[in-house]
Amino acid sequence: MTVSTVVAQHVRRTSLAKRHPGILMGSLGVLALLLTFYGLKVGATAVSLGDVLRALVGDTSTQASQIVVQFQLPRVLLCWLVGTALAVSGAVMQGVIRNPLAAPDIIGVTKGAGFAGMLLLLAIPGVSAVAVVPAAFIGGVLAAALVYLLAYRRGATPVRIALVGIAVSAAFEAGIRFLLVRNPLDVSAALIWLTGSLFGRSMTSVLEILPWVLVLVPLIVVWSRKLDVLGLGDDLAAGLGEPVEKTRRLLLFFAVALAAAAVAVAGTIGFVGLIAPHMARRVFGGKHLASIPAAALFGVLLMLIADMLGRGLAPPLEIPAGLVTAVVGGPYFLYLLVKTGK
Amino acid sequence: MSLTTDTLSRPDDGDAAHRRPRVTTNRQRVTWVAAAMTVLLVAGAAWSLSIGSQHIDLSTLPRAIFHARTTDELIVHSIRLPRVVLALCVGAGLAVAGALMQGVAANPLAAPEIMGVNAGAVLVVVLAVTVVPGLAGAPTILLAFGGAAAAGVTVMMLAGSGRGRVSPVRLALAGVTASTLLISLTQVLIIFDENSTDSVMFWLVGGVNNATWRDIGNLLPWLVIGLVGSFAMARPLNLLALGEDMARGLGQNVERTRLIGSALVVVLCGAAVSVAGPVAFIGLIVPHITRRLVGSSYVVLLPLCAIGGGVLVLYADIVSRYVKPPFEVPAGVVTALIGAPIFVYLARRQKVTS
Repeated sequence: MTVSTVVAQHVRRTSLAKRHPGILMGSLGVLALLLTFYGLKVGATAVSLGDVLRALVGDTSTQASQIVVQFQLPRVLLCWLVGTALAVSGAVMQGVIRNPLAAPDIIGVTKGAGFAGMLLLLAIPGVSAVAVVPAAFIGGVLAAALVYLLAYRRGATPVRIALVGIAVSAAFEAGIRFLLVRNPLDVSAALIWLTGSLFGRSMTSVLEILPWVLVLVPLIVVWSRKLDVLGLGDDLAAGLGEPVEKTRRLLLFFAVALAAAAVAVAGTIGFVGLIAPHMARRVFGGKHLASIPAAALFGVLLMLIADMLGRGLAPPLEIPAGLVTAVVGGPYFLYLLVKTGK
Repeated sequence: MSLTTDTLSRPDDGDAAHRRPRVTTNRQRVTWVAAAMTVLLVAGAAWSLSIGSQHIDLSTLPRAIFHARTTDELIVHSIRLPRVVLALCVGAGLAVAGALMQGVAANPLAAPEIMGVNAGAVLVVVLAVTVVPGLAGAPTILLAFGGAAAAGVTVMMLAGSGRGRVSPVRLALAGVTASTLLISLTQVLIIFDENSTDSVMFWLVGGVNNATWRDIGNLLPWLVIGLVGSFAMARPLNLLALGEDMARGLGQNVERTRLIGSALVVVLCGAAVSVAGPVAFIGLIVPHITRRLVGSSYVVLLPLCAIGGGVLVLYADIVSRYVKPPFEVPAGVVTALIGAPIFVYLARRQKVTS
């Protein structure tokens, strides 16, 4: 064994990211900020850098800077909030259920929230968009509860949760399509909502999701040690004085609430909640105090990139961000599946 | 013998020497099930023909099948009859494909919808239609075969090594993810192609409205090849169900059975999907229900799946027209709503393996 391989192994074991998570996390944050800044520029209308800067300091005298404030700013802000909500939700679910494949999509939240939001919009024409968020929230929570109950048979094993989640999601998906056909709206607009898009979102949407993220994410970060304890297994965690069942249920509820809020404002964006936590764990290791903020950053990056690709690939056409995340996330999930099988 | 656990050998069978080999199922029961399914099929067909914005008296039907002189006869002949025939064809094709797949993969969750086969066929067809507008008929079916085969093989390879048994859970997760991915790509294509927005629902959920005789003409040869080929596979599949080693010991070429079976699945699914879109869950639930009713011998299972699949799509199509006339909910939505609870039931029964 040569010296270099020993060194290489040593370096790999205690990588920079794990020794000094702050450095890498900081650079990820800088990257996200740069992307955010660039995201303000990309769009159907070309906006110069100067206009972006002008808009950011509050000067909305030019038309271009108005576009930035009115259309682009809410979008990039939503990328941050939705990406954070989905990624943290996925990280908590994976920690609590102790299954790397757990995610808001798998557990039925995404489609359940989508269905409920749609049901309300169509059942009560002209209902305020503000009401959609609580409706989607309730739908997401109920769907998750349904999956848990249906999967429960002398305990709810992760495998059964995954399978039942697939079936329940399929049912809600069919329900969504049923509502669509019953109420023939503009099909392409509905499709954009269905697949998850930040197109045409305003500051109202930002304000709708903001409280959830501001309250729940810090709470979860503060509680991240509880997640580490739960990860030790039920018996050990109980031995350490953790009220296992109570903590688990509360954390799961937080996770479901975050995901439901995200779907409520952005539609059904898939795979972010699944893959962002994975990336975070790979880079920063299993300690939740580091991996949850990291997951949030990865979630933000994914959303920013997906939204930007959706806008920039074929303007003036908008490809919903949810489609981009699915096209990127699907292969990654399959790769994980192959890897976990070995 | 492992096979007898599922067949209907009653405790009072007693004198086994007088009975045929136990692989055969209870004939009386098979007859009853077949008769009941046929009655459902005929009743459903008549029902489907008579409903719609114009009510048509059943007495017109016999005449309308062969010629169309009055308006009523014309409606039946050119709109409603093809719809019924297509429902039966598509249901039969998908259900038999599902049964074949479960046999070939030795996996209860193997089904063309779960394994991405249907989604693969759809993606390739939509791609072809987007690139070459106006493309229809025979070439699209051939392309659909390619998409179905590529998706199925990929999922199978991702889910396991491809040899022996793949855990149902891994298969389902890999398949559903691959399907999601393929459907997303299809949606991207549909968004890019502004002319095709009308067909969005059709390519996402499938259905048999707007069926024409030309569709049926395109589908029929492949369906016949697929069905006849499948029925001929019944005995090899029965042997395979005894376990790979046992089948090999009895002189069967296991690899060849798998290969031919998979090819037939591709033909049946590709043809059905290219004409009717991805009608959900037929290939998963019909074989399971039929197996419950008549046991697991493929000699009776496959033909009855063909009838049962036809019946399910036929009734799903009828329901789709009753939900909110004059709007038609695609039949694929109805089958998904029926299929999901059955999938939950199957998932709950899964023994935890991974």
